[in-house]
Amino acid sequence: MIREHNILIASVGGQGGITLSRIIARAAMKMGYRVIVGETLGMAQRGGPVQSHVRIGSQVYGPLIPEGRCHILIALEPVEALRAARYLSPESTILLNETVLPPITAILGEVPYPTLREVVEALNRIGCGVYHLNAEKLALEAGSKRCLNVVMLGAYMAYMEAERLNIITMEAAEEAVRESVPSRYLEANLRALKLGYEALMKSMSSSAY
Amino acid sequence: MSGILGGEGEHRLLMGNEAIARGALEAGVGLAIGYPGTPSSEVIQTLSRVADQISMRVEWAVNEKVAVDIATGYAYAGLRALATMKNAGLNVASDTLMSVAYSDVKGGLVIYVADDPGAHAGMEEQDNRWFTRLSLLPMIDVSDPQEGKDAVVMAFELSEEYEVPMLVRSTTRVAHMTSIVELGPVRELRRTPGFERDIRRYTRASPKWCMEQHERLNEKLKLLSGRVDGLPVNRLHIPEDGAERGVVASGISWSYLRELLDRHGLWDRVAALKIGTVNPLPRGLIERLMEGVGELLILEELEPYLELHLRAVASELDLRPIIHGKMDGWLPRVGEYTPELVERALGRLLGLELERSNREVEEARAEALKQAPRRPLPLCPGCPHRGTYTAMRMALRELGYKDGEFIVTGDIGCTILGMHPPFNLCWTEVSMGASIGLGIGLRYAGIDKPIIAAIGDSTLFHAGLPPALNSAWHRSRIVIAVLDNRVTAMTGHQPSPTSGYTATGGEAKVIEADEVLRALGVEHIWVADPYNLEEAKEAFKEALRCDGPSAVVLKRVCALVARRMGLTEQPYRVDPERCTGCQLCLRTLACPAMTLSPEGKAEIDGEACTGCGLCAQICPVGAIGRSEP
Ligand SMILES: Cc1ncc(C[n+]2csc(CCOP(=O)(O)OP(=O)(O)O)c2C)c(N)n1
Ligand code: SF4
Ligand code: SF4
Repeated sequence: MIREHNILIASVGGQGGITLSRIIARAAMKMGYRVIVGETLGMAQRGGPVQSHVRIGSQVYGPLIPEGRCHILIALEPVEALRAARYLSPESTILLNETVLPPITAILGEVPYPTLREVVEALNRIGCGVYHLNAEKLALEAGSKRCLNVVMLGAYMAYMEAERLNIITMEAAEEAVRESVPSRYLEANLRALKLGYEALMKSMSSSAY
Repeated sequence: MSGILGGEGEHRLLMGNEAIARGALEAGVGLAIGYPGTPSSEVIQTLSRVADQISMRVEWAVNEKVAVDIATGYAYAGLRALATMKNAGLNVASDTLMSVAYSDVKGGLVIYVADDPGAHAGMEEQDNRWFTRLSLLPMIDVSDPQEGKDAVVMAFELSEEYEVPMLVRSTTRVAHMTSIVELGPVRELRRTPGFERDIRRYTRASPKWCMEQHERLNEKLKLLSGRVDGLPVNRLHIPEDGAERGVVASGISWSYLRELLDRHGLWDRVAALKIGTVNPLPRGLIERLMEGVGELLILEELEPYLELHLRAVASELDLRPIIHGKMDGWLPRVGEYTPELVERALGRLLGLELERSNREVEEARAEALKQAPRRPLPLCPGCPHRGTYTAMRMALRELGYKDGEFIVTGDIGCTILGMHPPFNLCWTEVSMGASIGLGIGLRYAGIDKPIIAAIGDSTLFHAGLPPALNSAWHRSRIVIAVLDNRVTAMTGHQPSPTSGYTATGGEAKVIEADEVLRALGVEHIWVADPYNLEEAKEAFKEALRCDGPSAVVLKRVCALVARRMGLTEQPYRVDPERCTGCQLCLRTLACPAMTLSPEGKAEIDGEACTGCGLCAQICPVGAIGRSEP
């Protein structure tokens, strides 16, 4: 029985963070768990920061992960991982997509935009383990940039398997993907799931930062 | 697959607002009507998506007052109606609601309002629980999706039993939280509508009748008062051996409290009262709690509504519990509560150290957060408002006005994003439609600069027509810029009177802003395409030269809607050979589909670009052109 497993999905509006939260929640429900998702939807399609709190377990009631109690942060954009810092602790693990979406101010050099290295270092200083992958590239390989979120789901599945935290089975994850994405993108998403899974498995066997 | 259509006994993952929608199905609602507004919009949206499978009329009204007027008429006929809105929507609907409180509604009438502690939607944090004191109407304040669904069903029962409109309130956290909901049976009421003339009930035309109605409303509330202790939204927990201390919680705070009491194993240490009916209050439960405890913590977001009432009850009963909440500074009146805030207060009440804190980790977190640059909400790639604001700036510049030598009053919606760089145009944001009245007021005050009111089409039809009429009537010299993107974009692209379709996708009459403004007496009106900078700029220049009220209507469908409908065009691309790296396109337009290559040349993301062509019109060397299909 799981009492409390907290997943935070940090993304930029339009990246599919909300869909990812629904996929994980559906899969957890299929596995028979209580699940709660908390988010504010105003920016969902619109290029602002989006945080989805997915909470699984018998002891969760509130829609927000309490400070420092995030177990896994899935960040679809590096800087959004920094923005989620208050939920992190040395017990948190971070799965990070490397590709950046700088705001215009950063593109024009008016504000500094941290590099991947700086992001990872800042997260390491909190004490978190960080695994990063180029999910955008894998998504394109799977068929569309839109599958980026599901690549990260694959990475999450790999991490959980390696840690022997089998909350969600691959079958449940696949079924939840099937129910959550438009049918014309289904095949690409299933490929994305696999590619994300394999990529993280590979990077875990080589190194953790 | 819509989660809200399951059968009785099934468990579905539903968002708070979806659960409210399901509640409407289970209550046999025949009409669901509202005006969009975060965080309430998903109720009507969810119902509209399944409208062909249910027997309910689902509709977006032009504003909240109209929605409640229509819902009231429907309920007067003996059928059940639900009206939905965001926090500020209740202000607009209040004129009707205050009065309808005095009528006896025959069919159930429920108003769902979603408040916004934390101002996630960027408006006021108004606490609509106070509205119950103003209108005397009963209100249920819900804590999670399951309760939201059940509360709607219950509210309709009570509304009909006591012949009184009922308010159901949630907050952003509840409305947008998703959890597992057990479904009840769907009902379909087959009632014959009827409405009989009874002016003693349905008009307020005589002081005597008014006061009789007022009296009757008070009586209804008194009767309802006797019932609320037993309603499942109110719950009192007293540990077997009693408790010295107690906590009262409502709304989302109850979820945080439950979780903490579970996690720290504290259920046998404190008494806990969950309050779901904020009017009438569960008086019996409050008294039982107060008689047992010496110290009380009250958890409620925003105003000390319960706190004040509980202090009053205590003094009436001549009890002297120490009450902690907002009034003694334990908890804030601004912003939403968080699990940590509740944990700290609970720890303080019980004299326990509940949180684990670690300075080093906290500092590292603060450091990480500091490195994250702000990400202000941009206009989408291809947003027509980008063309409008760019053309507005060009027109002002060509007429010789520098920054500070003109005023643009802004309104609510995506249109307000013109306040951000690089446009820096909108100076104000007050309430729906206020851009026009503010402009007139500034003019009356003697300000002689050009004044432009920038307003979206949905906002114009919601509350902008009366001030436009006022400007025409008194010949006020302002320019009304209607950013007509054919939808209510900011709140999720609901149809507006310009769209040509209804909430459920049916055909509707297209209402053109320019025709309406002309009929209202605004004589000088230009219609322009915001994707055509030259045309839009010239229209603004003409309008700015007018002596009386004028309007420029900028018509082009919202780029996100265009994308969804497959109406976007072939993307543009930058020829790196010709691009000089001047960055003028980026600095003028800030289109998120554009970036800079490592060589400092402009680049366009072909997947994000909608082909609006604005950048090609800005580029001074003709380096941007449409890409080959
Ligand atoms: C009284 C009230 N009701 C609803 C809202 C929510 N709301 C904010 S902007 C807006 C309308 C936006 O549509 P439009 O004016 O067409 O501008 P757009 O976003 O399409 O550019 C709405 C409904 C509000 N702020 N106040
Ligand atoms: S949603 Fe539509 S109106 Fe709003 S910024 Fe995007 S394109 Fe513009
Ligand atoms: S054409 Fe230019 S301005 Fe328009 S969406 Fe594409 S990149 Fe942006």
